[in-house]
Amino acid sequence: MEAATVPSEPLTDSIVACRGLSRRFGEGEAAVDALRGVDLDFPRGELTAIVGPSGSGKSTLMHLLAGLDAPTAGRAWIDGVEVTGLSDKGMTELRRSRLGFVFQFFNLVPVLTAEENIALPVRIAGEEIDPAWLDELLGMVDLTDRRTHRPAELSGGQQQRVAIARALASRPAVIFADEPTGNLDSNSSAGVLDLLRGSVTNLDQTVVMVTHDPRVASYANRVIVLADGRIAADQRVSGEDEVIRLMREL
Amino acid sequence: MLRLALRGLAAHKLRASLTALAILLGVAMVAGTLMLSDSVNRSFDDIFAESNAGIDVSVRARVEVEAGFELPEAGTAVPERLLPVVAETDGVEQASGAIGDGSSIAILDEEGERIGPPQGGPPHIVNSVQPEPFTPFSYPEGGPPTTAGEVAIDSITAEEEEYEVGQTIPITGVEGLSEYTLSGIARFGSGVPLGGATLAEFTLPEAQRITGKEGEFDEIAVEAVEGVSPEELRDRLREVLPGSVEVKTGEQIASDDAEEIKEGFGFLTTALLVFAGITVFVGGFLIFNTFSITVAQRTREFGMLRTLGASSRQVLASVVGEAFVLGLIASIIGIVAGAGFVKLLLAAFESLGFELPQSGLPIEPRTIVIALLVGLISTMASALIPARRATRVSPMEAVLEDGSGAEEDAHGRRRTVIAAIVLALGIFLLLFGLFGGGGTTTTLSNMGLGLILLFIGIAMLGGRLVKPLAGFVGGPIERLRGVTGKLARENTVRNPGRTATTSAALMIGVALVVFVLMLGAALTKSVGDAIDKTFAGDVAIFNVDGFSPISDRVAPAVREEPGVEAAAPFSGAAGRAAGIDDDLLLIGWEPGPLADVTELDWVEGSDETLAGLGIDGAIVEAGWAEDNGVEVGDALELTTPAGAEVEVTVEGSVRDRIALLIDSVAITNELARRSFDVRQDFFILTSFAPDASFDETRDEIEALLASDFPNAEARSQQQLKDEQEEQVNGLIQLIYVLLTLSVILSLVGVVNTLVLTVLERKREIGMLRAIGASRSQMRRMIRYESLITAMIGALIGAVVGVAVAVAAIKALEGDGLVLSFPVAGILVVLVLAAIAGVLAGVWPARRASRIEVMEALQYE
Repeated sequence: MEAATVPSEPLTDSIVACRGLSRRFGEGEAAVDALRGVDLDFPRGELTAIVGPSGSGKSTLMHLLAGLDAPTAGRAWIDGVEVTGLSDKGMTELRRSRLGFVFQFFNLVPVLTAEENIALPVRIAGEEIDPAWLDELLGMVDLTDRRTHRPAELSGGQQQRVAIARALASRPAVIFADEPTGNLDSNSSAGVLDLLRGSVTNLDQTVVMVTHDPRVASYANRVIVLADGRIAADQRVSGEDEVIRLMREL
Repeated sequence: MLRLALRGLAAHKLRASLTALAILLGVAMVAGTLMLSDSVNRSFDDIFAESNAGIDVSVRARVEVEAGFELPEAGTAVPERLLPVVAETDGVEQASGAIGDGSSIAILDEEGERIGPPQGGPPHIVNSVQPEPFTPFSYPEGGPPTTAGEVAIDSITAEEEEYEVGQTIPITGVEGLSEYTLSGIARFGSGVPLGGATLAEFTLPEAQRITGKEGEFDEIAVEAVEGVSPEELRDRLREVLPGSVEVKTGEQIASDDAEEIKEGFGFLTTALLVFAGITVFVGGFLIFNTFSITVAQRTREFGMLRTLGASSRQVLASVVGEAFVLGLIASIIGIVAGAGFVKLLLAAFESLGFELPQSGLPIEPRTIVIALLVGLISTMASALIPARRATRVSPMEAVLEDGSGAEEDAHGRRRTVIAAIVLALGIFLLLFGLFGGGGTTTTLSNMGLGLILLFIGIAMLGGRLVKPLAGFVGGPIERLRGVTGKLARENTVRNPGRTATTSAALMIGVALVVFVLMLGAALTKSVGDAIDKTFAGDVAIFNVDGFSPISDRVAPAVREEPGVEAAAPFSGAAGRAAGIDDDLLLIGWEPGPLADVTELDWVEGSDETLAGLGIDGAIVEAGWAEDNGVEVGDALELTTPAGAEVEVTVEGSVRDRIALLIDSVAITNELARRSFDVRQDFFILTSFAPDASFDETRDEIEALLASDFPNAEARSQQQLKDEQEEQVNGLIQLIYVLLTLSVILSLVGVVNTLVLTVLERKREIGMLRAIGASRSQMRRMIRYESLITAMIGALIGAVVGVAVAVAAIKALEGDGLVLSFPVAGILVVLVLAAIAGVLAGVWPARRASRIEVMEALQYE
């Protein structure tokens, strides 16, 4: 890797960045290098898809960027705050103010209604959500008439839309989405992806999404292809075919 | 399938050990109780075997009417003139008269206080010096007393009190206080422990004098000549002696004596077993809950097994097998832990002033069998319903994503109907037990069964109560603590059935505590009211221990004091009335001064009736008279303990529901002393002259008692009430101690459920962390959940406890019980339950806070 081609500090306008990020699992002969020295910068207002086959290191990369796991080497920043080596308290603070998550299995609190789930991050931070903002979010995810429904009374697509509204609720610097459509049929998937894309276009939101599905990745402004723990490709794309071609090239 | 069950246990060590604890504690209590009972029984066997070791045949007074617990040693004397008759009988090698009396003396320390525990302690027993081979004593130091001024004390007491041969020991007998020189330390038999009893050995004449039995013996001990068997000699003696005495072999006497006292201790075994049963019952809830939750969590596993071809019977066998193995291991540990429980119990008893005689910890095969059966049956019975649920898992459920289909449905209609039936049956049995009459045993067993059904019914219906109660308890928490409070509240109602069963365990403990509290308050209040109403005098004189009799010489001496207007002694005797089944406690009254010290509630007759009451007259308690068809004017044919018959005429009736001054029939003290062999008084009520100073008169009485009768003391009305309250409180405390284990167990249940729940909600908690929840917020959420669960149980428990107590007190209204609400006490119980709830949540909360965000992303 030619480290000289990138500066050792992140670019000033990037919301998420990393330098020399490496992660090794296990020790000795059984050790696996999931990530081998990755440098990346994610500027504001973009939807980036990280793609790659199973074991390419795409999930590991996201875990490290989001501060969920600690790297063996390298550093990562979110909105100017270095997440590597951050204390649990600092990490909690960061999640409250600058991070949003969307999970594959929706992960809503089953005992709370849709609107309560959306307001949850704000309330956990000890504040009350602005009712107008809550209404706007509900409108955005098209669930205004289902605001008092519990997750069990919602379809999978609706649940994931609640999860996206929840991620947006605290106006985070970045939303990490982990296979957001992995558990949805294609119709619902399209709705969810439109929503993520829309948040980037309309709210200048930054979204980093991990997926193995080229069709999903085609919604992104930028696609990063990982293979064997390294960046195999990193470019702007338009259309599913281009993504498939990109992945095939490897 | 059994192998699978074993693997399952090994894989979930934590869950297994918490469940095992539930079984273990109950089994430990059962095993410990049996061990303690065996130990106490064996030590009584030893004591009486050794004290009768050299006696071939024993001659004692025949007791026609057995004296109850209240009346030690009444009417048990053998006249001295029978000794020569015995001694001259053919085949008698040696005969010796002896005194053995446990209710006449008190050994005092330098301050004039009775040695040993102050209240209700083990007895101080008078023994007279006996020749070989009758004497059970040997003397490691000094020797037996040889003059009236000497005493020998048993070695255990001597060591405890640090007595030295030659020192002076003050002892009060029925004649008053005397000082004795310690002639020697007397070792009883082979040195068996006496359970705290103190033996004081006097010369025979002094023993007779100090117990007021001049010219009498408690026993004539007989040794047979070589070649004459005890049985043969017994038969010969029976022929020459009058029917007023009983002749038995030494062996027979030893086992009779031991049986009698063991019977007295039998109630303790029964009481302890009841509390052990409560613990087992509470443990059952915990086991049921754990298995319910784990079966639900393993739905996919069972579905998978079914797809592999396992039959539903095999699935059942694997769950029941797990319960069996768990029950077996836990029961074995429980039996060992039983020994620890005994130690705990003995320490608890000792701190409350009781001491139990015991010899080692015998583990009889019966103990092991019963303990194993209790452990195994309770575990398997509790696991059966969850196991049956596991069999209903279809292979389909293996492929479904979130399999929680096997958990009970709290709102199922069938379940509600069954719950309602169980509940109704429980209430019916409870009320039937309380109001339906019948003997004590029937009443208590009906009540017990009723309570069990009531608790099960409420636990089953509890699912419906959980939601409103969680709102009631959780509301304030939510308002105060915000979102973590809300999440906690919502989590408790997520699975109402589970919350209900978890809190039901605590409900049982709280219900019993509140019930006892209510009953204690009612008892205190009713006795307090009765003392206020009935006792019109100034001070009462009691034995310092509160229940032993005092010398009949106290009352005449007190009457001599200036300022004392009247002193009325009360005595007691056992008797039987013709045509009435139960033996009676006859109270001896002093008709002259009685009206001056009491305010009797006359139904028929008046204080004049009392003034004219002669030796052949009697007063009856109105309620008792009604129940037994006795009316004023009737003649009552009374049988004395010695079998003699006297006739009295009922002259009047008074109402005294709580039996403060009259239990059934009151006779004159004169008759009690003459015909019923009563030698001592229970207590004395006094009143002072109107112009006398209360404090001065009281001081005079106290000075008199301190110098002449140090085992008696004067108490005011208030002191009497306080003391009575103290006694009730002491009993309540003892019950608390015995309930502790089941309450701890119910908290373990809360811990267990929460730990399993946290495990189940791993992904959700990880997600909460991902959206910004801090570790301390997660901790708080679980702690609140624990608090709400505990409070649900405590609130239902308090309501059940109050309701059952009100019913019980209503049922006992005829016995003078007055309803009273110990609000402060109940609030304290609720606060303690809340604190316990928070504490139970600490550990599961810590586990929850350790869950990382990564857990939310597991792709499983």
